[in-house]
Amino acid sequence: MSLLQISEPGQSTAPHQHRYSAGIDLGTTNSLIATVRNGEATTLADASNQHLLPSIVYLGKDKKLVGRAAQEMQAIDPLNTISSVKRLMGRGIEDVSRLGNNLLYRFETDSHSSVPRIQTDSGLVSAVEVSAEILKTLATRAELALDDDLSGVVITVPAYFDDAQRQATRDAARLANLNVFRLLNEPTAAAVAYGLDQDNDGVIAVYDLGGGTFDISILRLNKGVFEVLATGGDSALGGDDMDHALGEWILLQAEFKEVDAILARKVLIAAREAKEFLTLNKSAHIHIEHDKHRWQGTISREKMDELILHLIKKTLKSCRRVLRDANLSKQEIGEVVMVGGSTRVPLVGQMVGDFFDRKPMADLDPDRVVAIGAAIQANVLAGNQPDAEMLLLDVLPLSLSIETMGGLSEKIISRNTPIPVSRAQEFTTFKDGQTSMSIHVLQGERELVSDCRSLARFELRGFPPLVAGAARIRVSYQVDADGLMSVRAEETTSGITADIVVKPSYGLTDSEIESMLRDSMDHARDDVSARMLKEQQVESRRVIEAIDTALAADGDSLLSQKEIEDIIQARDNLAGLIETACADKLKKSIKLLEKISEPYVAKRMNASVQHMLTGKRINEINLK
Amino acid sequence: MVKMPILDLKQDYFTLFGLNLSFDIDTRKLHSEQQRLQSVFHPDRFVNGSDREKRLSVQQASWINQAYETLSNPVKRTRYMLELNGVDMNDESETTADTEFLTEQISLREEMEACHVNPNPLDCCEQIAQKLDSKSHQYSAEFKIFYQQGDLNSARQSSRKMQFIQRVAEQLSELQFELEEEFG
Repeated sequence: MSLLQISEPGQSTAPHQHRYSAGIDLGTTNSLIATVRNGEATTLADASNQHLLPSIVYLGKDKKLVGRAAQEMQAIDPLNTISSVKRLMGRGIEDVSRLGNNLLYRFETDSHSSVPRIQTDSGLVSAVEVSAEILKTLATRAELALDDDLSGVVITVPAYFDDAQRQATRDAARLANLNVFRLLNEPTAAAVAYGLDQDNDGVIAVYDLGGGTFDISILRLNKGVFEVLATGGDSALGGDDMDHALGEWILLQAEFKEVDAILARKVLIAAREAKEFLTLNKSAHIHIEHDKHRWQGTISREKMDELILHLIKKTLKSCRRVLRDANLSKQEIGEVVMVGGSTRVPLVGQMVGDFFDRKPMADLDPDRVVAIGAAIQANVLAGNQPDAEMLLLDVLPLSLSIETMGGLSEKIISRNTPIPVSRAQEFTTFKDGQTSMSIHVLQGERELVSDCRSLARFELRGFPPLVAGAARIRVSYQVDADGLMSVRAEETTSGITADIVVKPSYGLTDSEIESMLRDSMDHARDDVSARMLKEQQVESRRVIEAIDTALAADGDSLLSQKEIEDIIQARDNLAGLIETACADKLKKSIKLLEKISEPYVAKRMNASVQHMLTGKRINEINLK
Repeated sequence: MVKMPILDLKQDYFTLFGLNLSFDIDTRKLHSEQQRLQSVFHPDRFVNGSDREKRLSVQQASWINQAYETLSNPVKRTRYMLELNGVDMNDESETTADTEFLTEQISLREEMEACHVNPNPLDCCEQIAQKLDSKSHQYSAEFKIFYQQGDLNSARQSSRKMQFIQRVAEQLSELQFELEEEFG
């Protein structure tokens, strides 16, 4: 429908179809979505002008809430209110039990899946599904703000996320029906946000301490190329741990007799509030009340510093390692960029500054900088800046190995190798007539298999039976630009490609994801009609705006009073229906308005052509 | 949409980066050519392409990265140069008959062990690091001469010695890191 959209020659309203895209920071504590509009990347706010979406999902009986509304349920119904779900992404049952006392949910495990499910009043859910809810909420926010669909998104992940955690993030996006251009490492995103603003070449360190993860990356910036030299960190260390350290101190002081889930949640909330208050103040007052339990007290910044010192020391150890991996000294680092809400804690800034011996940069809002960098990258990937020279070259954060005899691991691809990357290995059979073999792929730096993370077990089947040692099985490992691995195997003497049966150690299988997608189809009918309505509402507003603009410009000169009245009547009729009518009714009303306006459109077209020809010499008019 | 460029995967890595086939390379040029090639072939340039284009770009970008890694690392570079000349470098079972070199290896590892109980462990490591540095220079100089003379068998021995030294250097680096964490 191109009603009434007339533009001067050479001034087309849409010289190049802008493809909307967005950057999503799917955080442990908060999530954000940002997009590039009019050449500027900004985070998008919800209806109440809040940019940060608390990464909290409430799953009660027949009730689903995401964000601030879910946050309010935390202290009322803690078992059905899922927060910090990022810590569970790509994690298995054992990991969860290791995190045990930090998580208050009821976990359900069954033998059919390696992925733990949380029991809620609306059923069993995995971390991937909870994350998908957060992604959907953000995507809807963007589509409403942009009045358009998203052609694709860039989702950020901690640089130190392993393969399983990255895959889980991709799966969540698939469930949320998003086209993912790329998974982008959070420190790299932050560097993009800073780098493009400042246009400074050189080596920078990005220190990213979020709610649940810590990353340190060293990058070299050179004419729009962001080259990651080394990356390190801890995918289970962040502001949450500070809250727990403070929470434990509170419990120690309060000496509550018994602590139930609600009291524990209240203690953690009080701890977080005290931590945030101590950013600008020397001491914080704490008050906790639940049933017959009641405690109040004061904590000084010095006391908090003492409680969290060990956590920050742990991050500095990662900084030393990553400098060593990059083969650089502290003096060679040009700038230190601070990212993540937890870098607001004064002790963090102070210790990082002392370590690198320079004042860290925190010019951009540490909560938003990652989403903004991701939006810039998404805009380039969507093809909106064809001549952009920006290029992000990232590395593999953790070595990939396979299990060899005796429970030892053998490295295939070392950490900090630039990606994408591929490697091939040759194996042979050790028994006559052997037609299958199994390969166990690991990720991590340690020698012992049990100290590394199990990624997957591959069963290779169907190669020809030969005498022992005669078969040559070539196994190729490919890591793509998202840091995700795939495997292929081939018997090279016969050229037979082996079937690979993948058992991801901590991931959802394809069939699990399919069944989740099917489940979501049950709700899809509602979603589709809601979407159609939204589209017709958007279209109605567009048509009305076009009419109003046209009438204001040349209505009086081109139309009779009667014609104007007819058009305005149809216009008002449509305007009155926008908020109340169904999609079909709106569509009919739009058609009617268009029909009535048709003669007007024709007149405008003629007037426009005449205007174009008036006062021009014949040779200025291109008749070809 | 950018048309999918196709790399000639048969060319050798030196040609890919516009370098002469030699042990001494212009590392700056290697680095800048690597970035230029990635800016053409990196998967980010084909996110809106067909599945085939996406797959091809991952393969080609991987190949460029592998070529870059091979030439940037001196040991890998020597092995690659020998492979280009038809020398089989995969036979790891072969042991070196150079007893002098073997003795040197054993004593280097003993010295490293001794650093643990040395009153100044970091100085102790630093001394070994310097020794490793000069050894690695010595063997790469030998490699160059043998390679130029066409004595590929001796060049291969030098390459393997370089590899030994590199492994010891990696272990030493790890030890230094641990000691720095402990005493630093």
